[in-house]
Amino acid sequence: MNFGVIINVLGHLLVVEAGLMIPSLLVALYYGSYDWKAILLSIIMTGSIGFMMSRIFKYNGDIQSKEGLAIVGFGWILVSIFGALPFIFSDTIPSWVDAFFETVSGFTTTGASIVDDIESFPKGVLFWRSFTHWIGGMGILVFTVALLPMLGIGGFQIYKTESPGPTPDRIVPRVRDTAKILYTIYTVITVVEIVLLVLGGMPLYDSVLHTFGTVGTGGFGIKANSIGYYQSTYIHLVIAIFMTLSGINFSLYYLLVKGKWREVIRNSELKFYLGTILLSVILIALNIYRPMKYSNFGTALRDSFFQTSSIITTTGYATVDFDKWPTFSKVILFALMFIGGCAGSTAGGIKNIRIVILLKSIKRELYRILHPRAVIPIKIDGKVISSNTVAGISSFFALFILVFIVSTMIVSLDEVDFESATSAVAATLGNIGPAFGFAGPSRSYSGFSTLSKMVMTVCMLLGRLEIFSLMILFNPSIWKYEGFSKKNNHH
Amino acid sequence: MKVMIVGAGKLGYRLAEVMNHENIDVTLVDMNSDKLERISDHLDVLTVQANGIQIGALKELDVESYDLLIAATNSDEVNTLICTIAKKLNCKRTIARIRNPEFIEELDFVKEQLGIDHIINPDLAVAIEIERYISKTYNFYSGDFAKGKVSMVDFHLGNSNQLVGKKIKDLIGFEGLLITAISRNGKLIIPDGSTELKVDDVIHVIGKSKNINSLGDHFGINMNKKETKKVMILGGGNIGYYLAQRLEKLGINVTIIEIDKDRCEYLAEKLEHTLVICGDGTDIDLLSEEDLESYDAFVGVTGFDESNLLMALVAKQSGINKTIAKISRLNYVHIVEKLDIDVALNPINITVSNVLKYIKGGKVVSVSLLLGGEGEVTEIIVSKNSPIIGKPIAKLGLPKGIIIGAIVHDGEVIIPNGRSIIQENDRIIVFSLASDIPMLNKLIEPVNKGGIFNEFWGNH
Repeated sequence: MNFGVIINVLGHLLVVEAGLMIPSLLVALYYGSYDWKAILLSIIMTGSIGFMMSRIFKYNGDIQSKEGLAIVGFGWILVSIFGALPFIFSDTIPSWVDAFFETVSGFTTTGASIVDDIESFPKGVLFWRSFTHWIGGMGILVFTVALLPMLGIGGFQIYKTESPGPTPDRIVPRVRDTAKILYTIYTVITVVEIVLLVLGGMPLYDSVLHTFGTVGTGGFGIKANSIGYYQSTYIHLVIAIFMTLSGINFSLYYLLVKGKWREVIRNSELKFYLGTILLSVILIALNIYRPMKYSNFGTALRDSFFQTSSIITTTGYATVDFDKWPTFSKVILFALMFIGGCAGSTAGGIKNIRIVILLKSIKRELYRILHPRAVIPIKIDGKVISSNTVAGISSFFALFILVFIVSTMIVSLDEVDFESATSAVAATLGNIGPAFGFAGPSRSYSGFSTLSKMVMTVCMLLGRLEIFSLMILFNPSIWKYEGFSKKNNHH
Repeated sequence: MKVMIVGAGKLGYRLAEVMNHENIDVTLVDMNSDKLERISDHLDVLTVQANGIQIGALKELDVESYDLLIAATNSDEVNTLICTIAKKLNCKRTIARIRNPEFIEELDFVKEQLGIDHIINPDLAVAIEIERYISKTYNFYSGDFAKGKVSMVDFHLGNSNQLVGKKIKDLIGFEGLLITAISRNGKLIIPDGSTELKVDDVIHVIGKSKNINSLGDHFGINMNKKETKKVMILGGGNIGYYLAQRLEKLGINVTIIEIDKDRCEYLAEKLEHTLVICGDGTDIDLLSEEDLESYDAFVGVTGFDESNLLMALVAKQSGINKTIAKISRLNYVHIVEKLDIDVALNPINITVSNVLKYIKGGKVVSVSLLLGGEGEVTEIIVSKNSPIIGKPIAKLGLPKGIIIGAIVHDGEVIIPNGRSIIQENDRIIVFSLASDIPMLNKLIEPVNKGGIFNEFWGNH
């Protein structure tokens, strides 16, 4: 492990984060809210510490996969610590644990909040809270890779670790260009949604913040009853559609731009994702139509679509209190929490491609019992998936469930009911946000104990970085010292 | 520039690696996904698992948007076919690796009719390089530039007490010469006046050819100027065959030792004056039967690096003047430098240099790679609008890793100092570290795409 390189890159990362806080400062100054001092102080602290780190330690171009893992793992923790400063300095969330929970929830695009009275937040800090979704969705390190030309191939190790999905790859030869293209697509989608929301009558400030939550699939609301505050079918549909779009692999949009729509239509992950949404929407709409006393089926479909896309893309916005829905609908939503979005999107969860491959390998095992000597490769879009990848996905799934069970045990010590404990852990591990019962859409996570909050903070990070990348940091063998290159000590 | 390389073997990998340094966007296509996975971890290139011979696959990759396709699979026929298809699909230029000698004889036909713009043949390139070296009178390896007026040589210092322990500015006998780089413990160092030479350093010296020749006399480095009349070639593969063919034309006596009976018969049939001996070339008895000591040069070009290397050492011990070994594995480069053989050639490096020269085209006269590609020596004709014209070198703001080794102005060689000024149409010989090559390319060709926006989001 080359610690010099790691600290250098982390230093650059903090400088980038300080830069990303500037828009929040401008918003605070524009609205003249009292929190501008807190944000300015955060910028100065984050920026100067980052600057010192990048100055004292030398970048000598040796990012192997080990360093990549360490940079991403520590990068996320560090960015969350410094990202919590505006909340602490402005006294909006004075508790350190709570502020860290809220920031991690933002960066991991979970959207689980410990704030009970969000409408009293000052505008600058509120902007920062939603902006963390936007940064975390595509990845703050991917953003850094796009900015820093020096990373070169090391950038790929970072990109590979931070991007969700079993086998992230470049879409153009250079990883830096790949990162730029992804951010361009991301920005375009963001701007389009803001415009559509403003056209629908939502105030500009609200539109921007809700868009950050949508395209980053985060889900921090700025109203007590989330999107339900806006009684407009148009706004509900726009947000629901953009949540669905943000759960799709972004490289497919690049293919669309390149005119290769045939490849997009053939994509089996996309088909599975849209199929799952369609089926869930219909089943839930049928299930809630009578018990929830809808006057017409169309409205039931609308609410069902909004909630389904909100949960499967792991966003977590709500238009109605789905905690009051019949059990069958809640079980479907609970299952969707685990599936999550597509690989290479901003969504969390296990990811559709993994589910597709798991289902195919189950089918293969069944076949093998009938034809013990059959050679049955697992194919996705006509390409054979290597047995290593399949094995990796199986163990990822097992680990995901294991983390889920262990965390639920710890959280259940709070004496909350079974439904609340399981769903709260599922909602943080899958980066969704609101759960059922105790942590339902109309309530917040503030009632949990400090221990539970810390466990769930770890769950959010594990879920966003897909467990292995973070867990590997606890393996002592990768910590072998391999140089601590400071500046000016060469030759 | 966008380049697609089909075939991720040793050559494909190396090409991708070097182009990575040159700021070229590389897409690497191969059928073996394990290989590609490893490569994508080490190089900043797009890897695609596909069969390059499938028209559908090439279409899907938008082959028409590429400036160059290099077919480097291990089959001549497949390479040819890929190039032909790519050309029909409007790829701008194509390069094929073709090794079969019979095929090479029909080169013009192949190029014109099959749509291949350039053919690379690593075996032939190595043979040409060896021939060039053998036909020289001195016996250390050198690169020639500016039509032979400027040379670059590598000296292994050993522990010569005239040089070791001295600072570069205190050296005597280096007038008109420039030490551009030192390889020390496998790393390239750019020296300045205060750098001290150490035991076992290899110094890369550039200068006027006649000064270089007298350098050897000065330091008693073995420079006996004996003409080569008899050459022994170990290994009758393609390189051995090409080399024998070329040396025959120079009137040199050639003996090839080859172990395979059928191959021997083929060689004997194809070559006019060469003595073909069927036997194991690593057998010392056989070599002494053939009177190894009477030869002027020994060339080891079997398929095994180890045999080539060890037998070249044996030959050197028997007092043979020039010993040459073909080493295919790059990892050995740093060790080989220190051994007592005169030249170790790497077919892949030579081929990659060829391709680079082809890509850079026009104003770039030659490119050669140093060590394992950690440095590059380029000969360039300076064009009119190059940003390096008309200013003293010291004020060009060159990075430390770029050194202008010589300027040829109106046929006269100048070893530059900080005050020298480069003019239009001068030839310059530039040494650069791999990490500074993109910077060098910028200096040669001023690119102006228009503003910060394109610099940041360009190419798409």
